[in-house]
Amino acid sequence: MAIKEQTIRNNENSKGKLIAARVVAYIFLILVTFLALFPLILLVLNSTHSNASLQAGFDPIPGGHFLINFETAWNDTALFTLPRSMLNSFIIAASSCILTSYFSAMTAYGIHVYDFKLKKFAFNFIMVIMTIPTQVAAVGFVQLVGKFNMTNTYWPLILPAIAAPSVFFYMKQYIESSLPMEVIEAARVDGSGEFMTFNAIALPMLKPAIAVQMIFAFVASWNNFFTPALVLSKSEMWTLPIVNATLRQKIQSQNCDIGEVYMMILLSIIPVVIVYIALSKHIVKGVALGAVKG
Amino acid sequence: MMKKKIFAAVLASAILMSVAGCTQDNGGNNDDGNQLETNGGAADTTTSAAESNGGGEVDNKTPHQVDTGYKLADDEGKVINIYCWNEDFKNYFEAYYKHPEGVDVNWVVNANDGGVYQQKLDEALFNQGDASADNKVDMFLAEADYIKKYASSDFTSALSYTPSSDIYSYTLNAATDVRNDQLKGLSFQAAPSVLIYRRSIAKDVLGTDDPNEVQKLLDSWDKFDAVAADAKAKGYIMTGCVEETLRCYTNNATSSFLSDSNEFQVPAEFTAWLQQAKSYVDNGYTLTCKRWDDEKSVQMGTDGKVMCFFGPAWYYNFCMGTAKEQTNGDWAVCVGPQEHFWGGTWLLKATGTDNAGLVEDIMKAFSENTEIIAQLWEQKSEFSCNKPMMEKYAADTSYGNDLLGGQNDAAIMAECAKNITWDPALHTQYDQTFQETLPGRMIEWFNGDPKTEEEAWSNFYKDLKTVAPDVVTPE
Amino acid sequence: MKKHKLVSYAKWGYIFIAPFFIVYIIFQLIPLLSTFYYSFFENYRSGLNVIGPNFVGFDNYVTLFTPDKNGSIDIFTYFINTIIMWLMGAVPQLVFSLLLAVIFTGERLRIKGQGFFKTVIYMPNLIMAAAFAMLFFMLFSKVGPFNQFIMSSGGEAFDFFANKWTTRGIIAMINFLMWFGNTTILLMAGIMGIDQSLFEAASIDGATSWQVFYKITIPLLKPIMVYVAITSLIGGLQMFDVPQVIGTYLGSPNRSTMTMIMYLNNYLGTSKNYGMAGALSVIIFIITGILSVIVYKTMANDSGKKPKKAKKGA
Repeated sequence: MAIKEQTIRNNENSKGKLIAARVVAYIFLILVTFLALFPLILLVLNSTHSNASLQAGFDPIPGGHFLINFETAWNDTALFTLPRSMLNSFIIAASSCILTSYFSAMTAYGIHVYDFKLKKFAFNFIMVIMTIPTQVAAVGFVQLVGKFNMTNTYWPLILPAIAAPSVFFYMKQYIESSLPMEVIEAARVDGSGEFMTFNAIALPMLKPAIAVQMIFAFVASWNNFFTPALVLSKSEMWTLPIVNATLRQKIQSQNCDIGEVYMMILLSIIPVVIVYIALSKHIVKGVALGAVKG
Repeated sequence: MMKKKIFAAVLASAILMSVAGCTQDNGGNNDDGNQLETNGGAADTTTSAAESNGGGEVDNKTPHQVDTGYKLADDEGKVINIYCWNEDFKNYFEAYYKHPEGVDVNWVVNANDGGVYQQKLDEALFNQGDASADNKVDMFLAEADYIKKYASSDFTSALSYTPSSDIYSYTLNAATDVRNDQLKGLSFQAAPSVLIYRRSIAKDVLGTDDPNEVQKLLDSWDKFDAVAADAKAKGYIMTGCVEETLRCYTNNATSSFLSDSNEFQVPAEFTAWLQQAKSYVDNGYTLTCKRWDDEKSVQMGTDGKVMCFFGPAWYYNFCMGTAKEQTNGDWAVCVGPQEHFWGGTWLLKATGTDNAGLVEDIMKAFSENTEIIAQLWEQKSEFSCNKPMMEKYAADTSYGNDLLGGQNDAAIMAECAKNITWDPALHTQYDQTFQETLPGRMIEWFNGDPKTEEEAWSNFYKDLKTVAPDVVTPE
Repeated sequence: MKKHKLVSYAKWGYIFIAPFFIVYIIFQLIPLLSTFYYSFFENYRSGLNVIGPNFVGFDNYVTLFTPDKNGSIDIFTYFINTIIMWLMGAVPQLVFSLLLAVIFTGERLRIKGQGFFKTVIYMPNLIMAAAFAMLFFMLFSKVGPFNQFIMSSGGEAFDFFANKWTTRGIIAMINFLMWFGNTTILLMAGIMGIDQSLFEAASIDGATSWQVFYKITIPLLKPIMVYVAITSLIGGLQMFDVPQVIGTYLGSPNRSTMTMIMYLNNYLGTSKNYGMAGALSVIIFIITGILSVIVYKTMANDSGKKPKKAKKGA
């Protein structure tokens, strides 16, 4: 009896505790949500204000200058033209994400499906190079680009995407778990050529992994600053990160329209944010998948 | 519309005549100061239009392109590539210069920040040999702080014509190759830098806002320092940034930052600035920001407390937007404690250009074409390199600048401009580092991090080592 | 059948991996080796004059490791800067993420709207670092919203970017915001990988939440936390975009925000000092190499956990 009472009390107690814990957890989550969204909110807010109103002070109520700022930012040709930079970023990011995912899948497939002498070596080699930062090869890279006359072209920013060790690794993991050899052998029996088998049978089966890696590759390329800054000098070739780094100079020219600058920052991140919101489920899953998959 | 066309045609023929070598050197000695005037009937029409106190005033106030009548030579390319670091010259070019039909003008703009412009320009110049004719650099812009690097190199080539003797000679000296005395380009500006003060604050602090009176009260550094203390006592701030007075000192230096044996040395004038700057920061006589910080522009607004800025004519346009909006007319200029110049943009002719003729026509247009010069001054406050033109404005009592409450700034600037000299021995290819990075490091010290002057110098020597590995530094 | 496959399909293996290796060799390996090669030469520009390449042996390395007058060695200073800024962002990030991961995976808490929260906290990771940095630069500038707020409440404007710790703090904060969502998701995956029966057993034994967390979750999560920390460190060593925008190429103030990659980038600037840049690259390569070995070691200890690409920035 006494024991039973005790248990009931305990249960009630822990129930109260649980509710308290939940409240604390939600408060914490809301705080974190705010933290994560705060820069974006501020950016959107500020992009709705005119230069004068921004200089007068921060105003939490959206202003009516959004379209005007958009128009100024879009049509501004000083230092760079934003639409052109967006197009550059898009061309480079789209091409590299396609190349990265396709060729990484192909390499992973090659190593997984076929037996050949250098198979083990090839795999270990890629594992070793995976953590080498691209920046340490910058000296040689710049000279190579100069030698091939590829300065101010998209090529040095797109082609290297074919060799992406970490994407390869991800694909390899995925293939191991979800591409049975039987499928390939069955295709061969049906008389399918090797490329055909890869393109028509294996690739569709790898779709989820490819989708995730395409998104990551797109974002990584869209946001890349170091390499484009090294190889692009003509502003018509600039990508958005260079544009953003240049905004500091824009601010320093004292006739600068701060509202326009906020708008430019907003416009350079918004495409990725939209893609992300549309595909967020896959992305969040993909992050976990890449890290712990055994 | 029709009128404009006729006007352009007339002007074109007039300029063609002058290009053909009719006459050029009567600019300075007649009242109207217009070179084209004596060229006959056609030119007369132009004159009345280009002249500021005639009926043509409207034309100089309304942006319009001027056709120099230049025709591409047979061997010239159809694409001209111009390298620059901001939009200033590009805007002038597009507004005022009518380039020959069928020519593609390609602007390659790279920010000046962190030496990026020079980096990218150098890349292009080094690849000039391999580039196809349409991709070669034809003309590029350079600032006073690094013009020597380019003018005295094989990457620029000599002009094939002799510019008018009306051009302020220092602008030509700066663009001359020190190795062989060849002229490689020219500037469309002269950049005498003056003291720009806020009238209302001057009245409060000095009891007068009259430029002549103010000049008398501020014509030496001793007086300037004393007034700074008065201003502080009245709740004002003497100068707009720590670097405000820098160019007064460094651009009057009597030695360069590098010795003959490529050792870094500190000109006495820089040391003098450093002392002044430090004491200004410690005493609260200046804002503690850097040259281009937006904090400055706020101080040009309605509630601004800063009394003095220093700058050339281009400064109003590019740095005083807030003043034009909020405190228009509350400003005036005088020579200040020390005559000096600051900056200036030069146009240089790149070696290997396939548009030599067009490049020189552009240079000529922006340094000698009176109609372009008049527009530059009247619309953009660009003080021209053309002496007679500027002296004409200086003498024109009807001319006044709205920002300056109707004061004739040309009068003050023209006085300074003719005294500017350029001794190549005082300039180095790394002046941008000495004039921008070095003061920047000192300002970090003033603002408390690093704690000692020694550390600030040490930081700078490290910067210098990365920019100029061959320069010998004390550390 | 099997034998047949070995004989006739081997060449396809090479064909399939060829593009990867060809591109890697051209765009990464050759540049990498030539970078190493250049590190033994004096080769730079003095203005527009090219000096070298002259073979100088290990001179560039000696220069890199020569202490200045105050006895400090630049490359160490920048290494330490990088580590400090990384720590300032990574430590709170790990704590935060762990807390979040525990909340999300809490059996009893049963948090609703997980999908939404996860989506939101991961989002900053996608935002361009340069844009993020630019935004914060404007927010904290002397005339930006923060100072406007301080001044309107009677305070005096504070120059955040003149002080070493506030500047570093802002950089660390950006890295924190960009990466905590990512870390949370990784840790969650780790927690969910823990055998659920352990938790059940513990709760039957009457363990409190805290005890479960401290005695079960943390020890079992250790390998993945180490993994997260080290990949984060490898990424942190490559920190460039954010400090480059906030502290400029000078690493202002007082070179306190200069990272190793910024230092490298400066040598690649106007002076095109390929010799010094090469030597510096080799050093960064070695440091990353050592850390990578540690990653592999931890991975080997915990076979379930595999590396993902190093995160850039944090």
